[in-house]
Amino acid sequence: MRKILVPIKRVIDYAQKIRVDSSKGPQGVQLKNVKMSMNPFCEIAVEEAIQLKEKNKGAEVVAISVGPKQCTETIRTALAMGADRGIHIETKPDVRGDYVDLQPWAIASLLKGIVEKEDAVDLVLLGKQSIDSDCGQTGPLLAGLLNAPQATFAANIERGDDGSFTVERETDTVITCDLRLNTPRYPTMPNIMKAKKKPVDTISLEDMVKELGLDLDEVLTPQNEVVEVYEPPPRKEGETVGSIDELLGKLKEKGLVA
Amino acid sequence: MFSLTRRLSFGLRYTNVPSRRNESNSKKLRGPAAQDVSYFRSVLTRPSHSVLDGTASHDVKDEIDKKYNTDWTRHYKGSSDLVLRPQTTWEVSSILKYCNENHIGVTTQGGNTGLCGGATPISNEVVLSMEYMNRIYKLDEYSGVMTCDAGCILQSLHDYAEEKGFLFPLDIGSKGTCQIGGNVSTNAGGHHFFRFGGMHGTVVGMEVVLADGRVLRLNIDNSEDGNNERTHQFQQSSASLRKDNTGYDLKQLFIGGEGTLGIVTKVAVACPALPTSKNVALLVCNSYNDVLQILKTSKEELGEILSAIELIDSNTMNFIQKYGAGNGDHLITELLSSETTSKQPLFILVESQGCNQESDFSKMDSFLTSLYESSTIENGFLAQDSKQIEEIWGLREACNPSVAQAGYVHKFDVSIGIESYMEVAEEVSDALKKSNLPDLTVCCWGHVADGNAHINIISGQFDGDVNEAEAIENIVYSSVMKRKGSISAEHGIGQSKRKYIGQTKDEAVLELMSQVKNLFDPNFILNPGKYLP
Repeated sequence: MRKILVPIKRVIDYAQKIRVDSSKGPQGVQLKNVKMSMNPFCEIAVEEAIQLKEKNKGAEVVAISVGPKQCTETIRTALAMGADRGIHIETKPDVRGDYVDLQPWAIASLLKGIVEKEDAVDLVLLGKQSIDSDCGQTGPLLAGLLNAPQATFAANIERGDDGSFTVERETDTVITCDLRLNTPRYPTMPNIMKAKKKPVDTISLEDMVKELGLDLDEVLTPQNEVVEVYEPPPRKEGETVGSIDELLGKLKEKGLVA
Repeated sequence: MFSLTRRLSFGLRYTNVPSRRNESNSKKLRGPAAQDVSYFRSVLTRPSHSVLDGTASHDVKDEIDKKYNTDWTRHYKGSSDLVLRPQTTWEVSSILKYCNENHIGVTTQGGNTGLCGGATPISNEVVLSMEYMNRIYKLDEYSGVMTCDAGCILQSLHDYAEEKGFLFPLDIGSKGTCQIGGNVSTNAGGHHFFRFGGMHGTVVGMEVVLADGRVLRLNIDNSEDGNNERTHQFQQSSASLRKDNTGYDLKQLFIGGEGTLGIVTKVAVACPALPTSKNVALLVCNSYNDVLQILKTSKEELGEILSAIELIDSNTMNFIQKYGAGNGDHLITELLSSETTSKQPLFILVESQGCNQESDFSKMDSFLTSLYESSTIENGFLAQDSKQIEEIWGLREACNPSVAQAGYVHKFDVSIGIESYMEVAEEVSDALKKSNLPDLTVCCWGHVADGNAHINIISGQFDGDVNEAEAIENIVYSSVMKRKGSISAEHGIGQSKRKYIGQTKDEAVLELMSQVKNLFDPNFILNPGKYLP
């Protein structure tokens, strides 16, 4: 195995409550002072890549992210888990990665260009979806663009001939990772120290687009329109009943009990 | 495993300790009789829910025994036949007034998570449970002061404050069950004592009912309480101000008073703004000297964003691996396989909370780097998202429940100078090895930055020998007292530590405390048999 590419996304931490902020425009979301982390499914993809690298000496794991300058932090985390090198495609601070501005098509197009540029890429591992846009499209789109075999929602990757799912060594294979695949490791001190010395190449979105021969307008113009952004309706209060008979009565009323 | 009766018989040993000063008064108390039950039924608004009469049926008696007569450690068992669950301050006032006039003992109970038997009746006192008084009134968005009933479960206060962008300043392992009234009455410490200070500072106001039924409103806004017209005595109240220097600060007596001077019915707590950036790291080091270095460095490098430092020793971590890791299984495996020069490494949890993710992360990074490069730590695990943060805290919160499953636990909660923090555990361990007491493991964990150590001694084969328990206590407490430490840093006195208070306080102090008790509760109906020696 030669190179494993792992695209990772910096998103709002899964435990944060998302607040719609209409003062920021029609699809505004409160992003200031909100904790950001690596997308959990991307973490699983990084972990899988490192486990594969540990089993295949000589393999190189490259972490890639598209986003504002703080993405370098997210890439450093991947390096601290054991990735070898990072590539950061830096976007301007006001470009939103959560489907409003950058969408899977744009990301997949960029990734295709990078895979071809890197050469010797045997496997691209992605998270099955990101927790902000929940599209699950980048992996399949990338596979389509590369004309590569793909396997999505991987809960287990067998690295041999036996087992329910086998990855055969072919160049440019795309796999997206699901929850049960593995438990991502913690960055530990020795690795955190090593990560600081690992290289991360930063290139602006405009320059990358030019290099790959893409059209900047096409990349930045969303293919789909976000119609509305709203918070889920608040949970309705429950009803207190006074007796078991009343409870049965209500359940029958609502057609939940015969 | 251990038979429950053995544990209970051990626990009952303490219930018959006569009080030095209160003896004559406690003799005058009686348990409730049928006419008292009728009275309570007539004054409480929902008697079918608010009055649990153990003499009425076996089922009710069972419920009372399981839920109210037994404490969390299952060391203490009371024999109350009557549980009252008032819904308003006025009901609490009526209950106390009646009990005071009729010399009926009352034990107040919140979440029943205390570790000293303070909320468990010593015999057949009435249990007054605060569980139905659980309304949250408001949270002032400018001062951060939250006003709520004493029966609110701590977790619900956290959730409510978080919604509004605030952080409730008290955080302890039992937050899913404990109630704020109990927390205030025991002056609970918790994980964030270091950062936000204790309840003596964060509680800005309270409403408390005295033994004779009078309601005191101390710097608390009562406009939401719909019971104005029915309050026993109306008193002027202020609107939960942050600062008010007009008179003796009486509320301080009730904070940590363990329900012996009055029953807290409402509290007003000042909440800081919710920090948006949290970082947690779990460090592995070889010796306590390294821990001292970590404490020093954390204050220099993390400074104002440092919010918690907790220590867990190897013995405890091994028990957690065996009995309680849950989600943290794979973290704990990695932790225990870290290469260390010491066979008994120490684990330190460091948490920072601030409002700027980038600068906080860079502070944490330079803190960890400086520790690693100076070989103060062998290894460090840095949580990269909320899930890993919860996992690491999960290990710390598993300390208590894990050792509880490992055998019979002799529990100690002591305060010592930070420099000597591990000395007590080490000295006790040596002394126990030399004694003829078999099969004992000494575990130590706790809030190291506060000098507070939870020393738990696990017995693999406790056979109900009361002398064994006393011998262990003597070893631990003499080790603490010779270092001028406290034998109860945050767990309080309850039933379990009464006799030691007499040995650790000056005569003048004991005399004054006794006089205060006499002043507030001359008939000694509130939590008899507890607190004062």
